[in-house]
Amino acid sequence: MGFPEALSEISKRVGKSKVLTDPEDVYAYSLDASTEYRRAPGAVVRASSDEDVRVVLEVADRERVPVVPRGSGTSLTGASVPISPDSIVLDLTPMRRIQVNVDDGYVMAEAGATVLEVDRACREHGFFFPPDPASSRVATVGGALAENAGGLRGAKFGVMKNWVLAMEVYLPGGRRLRIGEPVYKWRWGPDLLSLFIGSEGTLGVITRAWLKIYPLPEKVVRIMGTFDRLEDAGRAISQIRRRGHVPMMLELLDRETIEIVNEVLGYDVELAEAMVVADVDGPREAVWRMAREVEEVMRESGGRTRASDDPEEMQQLYQARQGAYAAVTRAYPGVLLEDITVPLSKLMVALRELENLRREYGMRMPVFGHAGDGNLHPTICFDPKDEDQLRKAREMFIRIGRLAIELGGAISGEHGIGLAKKELFLEEIKAIRGEGYLEVVREIKRMLDPNGIMNPGKLWF
Amino acid sequence: MRGTAVPEIVRFAAENTTQTGDILGLGTEQRVRWAKGLLPRGPVNGTVFYSGEMYPVMGYAEGAFRMLKRLEGFMDVNSLARVGPLMRKLGIYRVGARALWGGLNEKYQRALRDAVYVLRKLGVEMGYLFEDEPPSGVALHTYGLLREFKEHAEWVSRRLEELGVRRIITLDPIVATAFRLYYPEFVKDWRVEALHFVEIVAREMARQGVRLRLSRRVRVTYHDPCYLARTLGVVDEVRFILGRIEGVELVEPPRHGVNTGCSGDGGLELTQPPLARKVSYERIEELSGTGAERVLTSCPACIMMLRTGFDSMNLGLGVDDLASLVAEAMRNGVEREVETDAGEERREKLFFKRYRVLPRSPEPKSLELDDLAEMLLWETDKCKKCGFCNVECPTYRALDRLESRSARGRMTLINSLVRGDPVRPRAVLDRLYSCVLCGQCSQSCPVGLHVQELIVYGRAYAIYSGRAGVGPGA
Ligand SMILES: Cc1cc2nc3c(=O)[nH]c(=O)nc-3n(C[C@H](O)[C@H](O)[C@H](O)COP(=O)(O)OP(=O)(O)OC[C@H]3O[C@@H](n4cnc5c(N)ncnc54)[C@H](O)[C@@H]3O)c2cc1C
Ligand code: SF4
Ligand code: SF4
Repeated sequence: MGFPEALSEISKRVGKSKVLTDPEDVYAYSLDASTEYRRAPGAVVRASSDEDVRVVLEVADRERVPVVPRGSGTSLTGASVPISPDSIVLDLTPMRRIQVNVDDGYVMAEAGATVLEVDRACREHGFFFPPDPASSRVATVGGALAENAGGLRGAKFGVMKNWVLAMEVYLPGGRRLRIGEPVYKWRWGPDLLSLFIGSEGTLGVITRAWLKIYPLPEKVVRIMGTFDRLEDAGRAISQIRRRGHVPMMLELLDRETIEIVNEVLGYDVELAEAMVVADVDGPREAVWRMAREVEEVMRESGGRTRASDDPEEMQQLYQARQGAYAAVTRAYPGVLLEDITVPLSKLMVALRELENLRREYGMRMPVFGHAGDGNLHPTICFDPKDEDQLRKAREMFIRIGRLAIELGGAISGEHGIGLAKKELFLEEIKAIRGEGYLEVVREIKRMLDPNGIMNPGKLWF
Repeated sequence: MRGTAVPEIVRFAAENTTQTGDILGLGTEQRVRWAKGLLPRGPVNGTVFYSGEMYPVMGYAEGAFRMLKRLEGFMDVNSLARVGPLMRKLGIYRVGARALWGGLNEKYQRALRDAVYVLRKLGVEMGYLFEDEPPSGVALHTYGLLREFKEHAEWVSRRLEELGVRRIITLDPIVATAFRLYYPEFVKDWRVEALHFVEIVAREMARQGVRLRLSRRVRVTYHDPCYLARTLGVVDEVRFILGRIEGVELVEPPRHGVNTGCSGDGGLELTQPPLARKVSYERIEELSGTGAERVLTSCPACIMMLRTGFDSMNLGLGVDDLASLVAEAMRNGVEREVETDAGEERREKLFFKRYRVLPRSPEPKSLELDDLAEMLLWETDKCKKCGFCNVECPTYRALDRLESRSARGRMTLINSLVRGDPVRPRAVLDRLYSCVLCGQCSQSCPVGLHVQELIVYGRAYAIYSGRAGVGPGA
């Protein structure tokens, strides 16, 4: 049997209407938000139940047909694009039930529910779901887990990994694996949850997860600091954390970002070498005291500050950060969004080196990001029709990754590896972890997916 | 249009629009009878009331739409489109339609008469062109027959000039959009001003300090038509008008104003009625969830979708054109405030905010295939696949998040078609025709792509490339 036969068996067992093979349907799944990689699968199966997932993995494994799990396809690395035409894209978006269990402090979400839908469901009960990738209105729970996504609130709340209690995963061959329990304390054996989180669909298909929820903050104060020197902003960020403050959001924007936002979106944001935006949350009685302390730290580092708890003004203080992606993508048809993490103590060095790189290549590269957890998004802008700029952009992309490795950081903070960062990833592993690490993960992969059908070509596989 | 990728029903509607002047081809007599004795013939001070090609026959469309639902599985809309001309040949088309759905149509024609009544009460001077009224041809634009639209629009422009028309007042926001936004793009020196009914009514009510009173109390909700609110940016006028009628309590649905939700029309009701119905359900639930006793709106196609939707879900909610409620109140008399301090506020209200939430339209150099291709490739290559446009896309939502019938998916498919990927123009066109042109996508695209209009241009490319035999499977 081959691909067509496998497909016809799947079609028979899950129902014809769930299997798409018309070119005009499958081409719609040929890209993700990297926009760099393009390949249409041979078929798309729209899973609406666990059983659909099980059938696909059973037949595909038997017939050696590659399977690419897919949420909303907002991966920025090509992770959700197949590398061979005889692949099945397994679309999880029809599976999106959500159940909030306030008594036990969790929300159960199926893989296809969006992160924002989960958050909204929690808010109806006075709780919220803290991880908030900027793509949360689109990105699915399955995709966010498979990418270990982070977000703006990462400075305080971390990434997806920190919020998972349990998961259900299907393995090649169709075996079901229930990992963890929806209770806050639970232990036996090694923690397999972490094995699947961040695995980019290369080990199995996540069908549902039980996620921790958190009470809505009583009050939030937003502080904006503007700085005449980038280093001052970097110092302010590490000082805020050193002094024991853990703002819910701690974002950084450089001058070029503010310029582009003003230019493209017509805003009138004060031009400065750098801007830091912090959200401090806490009890009503204490939150302003905490906010004043954070303001004080910013001032000590040479910043000018404004703070507010008025929703409209808060929105205004956040305007430039919020508009960054829109402004950059409007101004430049070609954009490479980097995603490095450095130790907080190296933030200033990283910013300086990025500035040097920008000068050396003479390219526009606004830098913004979740600086509170050392995660920066230098965004290389170029004209894709200009060969020279394209070459420069690719070179810069690699050099930024290497910079992160040199500083003891990581080449990806949250967007993952996919196809875009495979080479850099191997460099990082060799430099920091040694070949032994690779051997172990490859053995695990062989054990779980002996026929190599799960999202081939991604990560280290 | 024959031998092309264009489905039968679109051909039927397009040919009727340009030849007979209404989408169903029922003929001039049907189209103008509502106005007999109401309005003087020809423009008055350059102004005409313009009924357009939908309003006067919308009841027949509603009848056909209801019938198709009952015939689902036996007959689709394209076979129905084949029956029309056949019946016309047999001479039973108009008579048959009148016998079946003449009653339904009365309601739509009454809205036109109510609108005229309101405008005249406010002292607006205008005439009507009767059988001389040239159809706007907006359906040609909707369905991507852009070369035909351009040719038609140029003729309409000349015709209106000959007739001495300088200003158009209409109850149909799709027609108003065509004259206000599309004509200037397609016709050189287009100078006719086009206003929607609510714009002029709000302005006059404010200027004259008009207050009205219903002889009953009624809780209403208002469905903002996409074309009026999102595309033309007309939102505050409606609230102003309703706020001036004693006895009316307005409850807004969660999505309103420029963030309104689609009720399933935008051309989809004609090309793919079952999907149109599916799309309408979400909005129907939302509107009925407001607890209102009646739903008001300002678009013939929205009225049809909502009426049939409420009926099929047995919700017993009535739908009226806003014009009818205003007319009902006016029949109780028109009270005009004497000049007081309120005069200041009133003058301010003369100028209502025009919301701008949509990005700039794409501008191909011409409608030649190469120029269309160049523009479409340039624009769709800019798409970052972030999927923000999908979140509120009504067809994506109605179809369980199916990518190929979503905003982002349509951008990908247009790109694939133009690049020469092995996709077929006719099948791509089918995906593009499943879009309701609501503009939610254009409103939410961070890159600033006018997705909705790119879809219209994509339709044109699929049609003309299919006709030229370009691309596989043409
Ligand atoms: C505008 C924009 C902003 C972004 N901002 C952020 C941000 O702030 N933080 C951040 O971390 N990321 C961000 N991203 C990246 C991306 O949105 C996230 O990685 C997101 O979690 C991907 O979710 P998705 O549903 O789109 O997954 P997809 O792109 O569909 O898939 C991503 C990967 O997960 C795998 N996968 C998907 N579903 C499953 C499943 N059920 N089981 C197993 N594997 C699965 C796929 O095979 C693929 O390898 C952003 C992207 C965009 C376009
Ligand atoms: S593609 Fe855009 S215009 Fe079409 S239905 Fe979806 S949101 Fe509306
Ligand atoms: S919102 Fe704009 S950029 Fe994002 S996928 Fe839609 S069209 Fe593309």
